Amino acid sequence: MMNCEDYREAIGANPSYDGGEAHLSACTDCLAYRDEMRALDRAIGRALAISVPVLKTPDLPEVDTTGVVSLAERRRFRAPGWMAIAATLVLAAFVGIRMYGSNVTYPSLADEIVAHLDHEPYALRVTDKPVDDGRLAKVVPANIAHMNHDAGLITYAQTCVINGKKIPHLVIQGEQGPVTILLLPDEAIDDAVQIEGESISGVILPVGSGSVAIIGERNEELDTIQQNVVNSVAWST
Amino acid sequence: MNSSDAGTTRRRRFDELVVVFHQDMYRYAAWLSRDRTVAEDVVQESLLRAWKSLDSLRDGAAAKHWLLTIVRRENARYFERRRLETVDVDNLTPSQEALLADQPDHELDDMRDAIYRLDDDYREPLVLQVLMGYSTNEIGELMGLKQGAVLTRLHRARSKLRNAMDSEMASGRSES
Repeated sequence: MMNCEDYREAIGANPSYDGGEAHLSACTDCLAYRDEMRALDRAIGRALAISVPVLKTPDLPEVDTTGVVSLAERRRFRAPGWMAIAATLVLAAFVGIRMYGSNVTYPSLADEIVAHLDHEPYALRVTDKPVDDGRLAKVVPANIAHMNHDAGLITYAQTCVINGKKIPHLVIQGEQGPVTILLLPDEAIDDAVQIEGESISGVILPVGSGSVAIIGERNEELDTIQQNVVNSVAWST
Repeated sequence: MNSSDAGTTRRRRFDELVVVFHQDMYRYAAWLSRDRTVAEDVVQESLLRAWKSLDSLRDGAAAKHWLLTIVRRENARYFERRRLETVDVDNLTPSQEALLADQPDHELDDMRDAIYRLDDDYREPLVLQVLMGYSTNEIGELMGLKQGAVLTRLHRARSKLRNAMDSEMASGRSES
């Protein structure tokens, strides 16, 4: 059975909590505390429900809807003309890759990367809170790569799977919003592959024996970020 | 469907979202920024961004979360552009005072003042839970926190408000 401290923590975090009935039936103090917290919450709710001014709808720009079919279609990357041949060769090398642990197949590494961004939308939050060094060292272990802090403010670090391999997924804060960095030590490419979509812009860069994917918002200036990231990463093998 | 029809359908879908969620967007922005004028700017920017990326909203049931996420990001951008100016709670601008002076009522005024003075880390999960009806899991997802951290912040937020209101009552008694 819960004790008073456990119950009060639960009801303090959520006054509509309806567990701990056995404890409540034997503790009139906690019963009174519950009623007090519920009354407090009603007052909080009334205080938060401020009046809302009449909406001034902003001028909405024309949006071309003719090409909008689906998110996947809309965000699918397209390479600029001069890179088409190189990109095609690179893409061909990755045709048929399978997502680790599932039956999902992506036609290219770039497609898998774009799909991965949608899997972890929370990673793309605007914040000024960096991940701690311990977390960064865990996600970017010394046997994979060495990375210094020159890349930028790293606000997200997670080990993810791309092309069946565990890789470090990082997010730094750019001028226009969060920028995703995927370190791909085992994905060797000969030339850069551009990733462009309606709302995103990025590139997969060859770095030593591997590559690094950098994807930001459509209007993000990625040149400086690319340079900083590439300079901050050194593969361990 | 031709381009004109698609545009009309798109606009109708957007207008429906705005009608349903405009109040939530504004109140969330107001309590995040603690400033009515900033909140209006943030909502305007958020609506523009939502309009441009409306096609990325595939699940209508996720619309509220989608819009509030946009508001959260736009609010962060707003303050980032202003180099993280912070609110001096003892020296408020008229626009900031307007948030506290909403629907004058002595008890509500005290509560609003206490909420206003909460740290962002405590105020935001409280707004999401009480005003937006978010579960602790949803709050954790939006704020990037584990559920335990969300529960702790909510508990502490209420404790702080309870203490603040008790102090107000005590000072009221001593003045009378």
